[in-house]
Amino acid sequence: MALLELDELTRRFGGLTAVDHVSMRVAKGEVRAVIGPNGAGKSTLFNLITGILAPSHGTVSFAGESVTGLSAPRICQRGIARTFQLTALFPEMSARENVRLAAQAREPRRWQFYGGRAVFETASDRAHAALERLGLSAIAHRPAGLLSHGDQRLLEVAMALAQEPQLLLLDEPTQGLSVEETAQAVETLSGLFADGRMTVLLVEHDMEVVFRLAHRITVLHRGAVIADGLPEAIKQDERVQGAYLGGLT
Amino acid sequence: MTLLTEALILGLFAMSLDLMVGYTRLISFGHAAAYGFGAYACGWLLLHTSLPMLAAIPLAALLAGVLAIGIAWVCTQASGVSFSMLTLAFAQLLYAVAYKWTSVTGGSDGLAGIPRRAGPFALHVFTGRNGFYYLVMIVLLGAFLFCRALVRSPFGAVLRGIRENEAKTLALGYSARLYKIAVVALSYGLGALAGALYAPFAGFANTELLFWLLSGQVLIMVIIGGAGTLIGPILGAAFFLIVEHQLSNYTEAWALFFGLIFIAFVMFAPEGIWGLVRARFRRSGAEPDVNRGVARAR
Amino acid sequence: MPFLSFLVTQSVNALSQAALLFFLGVGLTLIFGIMRIVNFAHGTFYMLGAFIGYSAARLTGSFWLALVLAPLAVGILGALFELGILRRLYRRDESAFLMVTFGLALVLTELIRLGWGPEALPVGPPAAFSGILMLMGEPFPAYRLFLAGAGAVVALGIWQFLERTRLGLLIRATSQNAEMVHALGIDVNLVRSAVFGIGCGLAGAGGVLAAPLVTASIGMAATMIIDAFVIVIIGGMGSFPGSLLGAVLVAFVQVFGEYYVPDLALAFMYLVMLLVLVIRPGGLLGKEA
Repeated sequence: MALLELDELTRRFGGLTAVDHVSMRVAKGEVRAVIGPNGAGKSTLFNLITGILAPSHGTVSFAGESVTGLSAPRICQRGIARTFQLTALFPEMSARENVRLAAQAREPRRWQFYGGRAVFETASDRAHAALERLGLSAIAHRPAGLLSHGDQRLLEVAMALAQEPQLLLLDEPTQGLSVEETAQAVETLSGLFADGRMTVLLVEHDMEVVFRLAHRITVLHRGAVIADGLPEAIKQDERVQGAYLGGLT
Repeated sequence: MTLLTEALILGLFAMSLDLMVGYTRLISFGHAAAYGFGAYACGWLLLHTSLPMLAAIPLAALLAGVLAIGIAWVCTQASGVSFSMLTLAFAQLLYAVAYKWTSVTGGSDGLAGIPRRAGPFALHVFTGRNGFYYLVMIVLLGAFLFCRALVRSPFGAVLRGIRENEAKTLALGYSARLYKIAVVALSYGLGALAGALYAPFAGFANTELLFWLLSGQVLIMVIIGGAGTLIGPILGAAFFLIVEHQLSNYTEAWALFFGLIFIAFVMFAPEGIWGLVRARFRRSGAEPDVNRGVARAR
Repeated sequence: MPFLSFLVTQSVNALSQAALLFFLGVGLTLIFGIMRIVNFAHGTFYMLGAFIGYSAARLTGSFWLALVLAPLAVGILGALFELGILRRLYRRDESAFLMVTFGLALVLTELIRLGWGPEALPVGPPAAFSGILMLMGEPFPAYRLFLAGAGAVVALGIWQFLERTRLGLLIRATSQNAEMVHALGIDVNLVRSAVFGIGCGLAGAGGVLAAPLVTASIGMAATMIIDAFVIVIIGGMGSFPGSLLGAVLVAFVQVFGEYYVPDLALAFMYLVMLLVLVIRPGGLLGKEA
């Protein structure tokens, strides 16, 4: 059974069709890359899946249940976590506090006024583990706004991980990173995905990163799926080759 | 002694606003609504029922808090400037109602002769001047401890998240709107508690307590004192009262000076007096002061 | 009074009210369009215009001179404020602007109280329009007709200014893409100061025009900014035609509302603001706030 299933998902903005009848099935444990030139609708697709936007048409199913039209917090609570293309953090909190707040969202009594210490402890433990996995323990005490761009991107991933999601959506995680930072990030991410327990949807422009991490690739063009398959097949696909793998994006 | 009591009451009022402004960055221009409502409600209860003071005060505050949930629900439909305008509009509405509903509120004259009724348990000790001071002190202390526990709790951590990046809190799975409604209701409730203390303290309640200038003054107290610190606003209230009493002997323009000082603080020292003091005691490299309130740059 | 003449007189009444509200709202929307901030002190500039107008009229004996001098003074004051204070806050978040302009509203209110006292001050309408005309068989103050006309003329004038003049073009361009305008070598900061000044000046003009009709008091500052905000919200933040639409709508609601349900006028405004904010936060005509 697919963990995530999109069926004819469509989103229009006035006259513009940003996402055009996209159908997709992502299996459990799969790392699926979504690629396409700028304006292909990738971020809009993410926003539809995570409930930030409501679809004009079509459905989203997660773990067998429809989540179409649910609000963003609700969908997140179902087990989907995401990072953003433009880094979204809490800049004045320390990295550790950022991740702790992310982990806290998963605690059943997170809204408590009193007796919060237990909640903080569990959340802190999860935060600590996530920071370790991303190699950020050394800078955990620093304010998130003062971290390097690369560390900030990784911090966002740590926050998503701390929520122990069933589905992880990464929106251009290596965007803005230097060559070394990208290589390091790819190492870290590939280590995270190695045990096959994470289901990941990954938007990326950097093709090397895509080929290194993805099990399958879906290609979007002008909001519609034009190709979907194994990395080798996509590499050979003429339609895709012509437009997207020339390194223009 | 009465000056000190008034300072403590205003301190409670300012601290209540800090929950909204300092910790969640919900700028309210209508907090006088809470204060005035608390004063009128408590005053009315003391005048028209035989409830003792120690019952009327919390009852008025509770009533305000419950009603504030509705106000909060309405105001949090919007955000940013629109939110602030809605809080102002609501306070104006309450002001107009108090002005016109003469039978209940006494119109522009207000309620007068509000008694400090001791009640059946002979708790007379609180009705005298010193006794009332201690009552206010106890209430402020209790409220302070409550607020401090609140902002240090997981709930408080979410408020800070909302302050710094509300969209991200939504993406993390928090129903941010509910948190905002809760903090606004609490804030109004505590503000009303201050107003409810004021009514028997001063012996009257009038429309001045709902006027937008008071909303402005309490906001100034919070900012100058130090938003997001709880203690800062209390200091700001004391500072305000001292300046008002001292300067008003020399010049009529003291409110003007205060406004100018306020602008200066917003521009150059947004963390306020207490914020500056706290920053002085933290060296760089250590854990940052996460309660820097409205000092955040864009 | 027969219904038709009632309708006509009240409508003209509403239009004269709309003119005043237009003066109030157009400045706020222009300022928002350029600077993306809501000038909380806008209602206070309106009030200041009324009081300066009073003094200018007393000094010079001419309402018309006051109508020129007061807005000028208010506009210059506004521009100076932008230059000296607001300009330093552009990198801060919007709550800083809100609080600073709020502080300004307090300061100006106190200045007015100190300078002119807490009482309302009488300003007579200009001799040319102080009479009563007959409108559909009912007496109607000539001054209100003048206001309605003046509002229409100024609205037309501003429209032409925005469409045809160079500064108007710069203003429209800057409100859409300040970066681009800057890249073309134009001093965007100057445009901002100019717009802030013009916006405040327009509010001040509205104040002078309103003076013969309304009793100014320091409580007005809060109601005026709410009115201005509602107008701009209805029409859409930053939309010039929107401010016209908003002014007309609010005026009609106020005038007819005052007649049919007099005590609920304020509640009405609150409700209207609420509805617009909830249903169409972008306003009926405008861009997203």
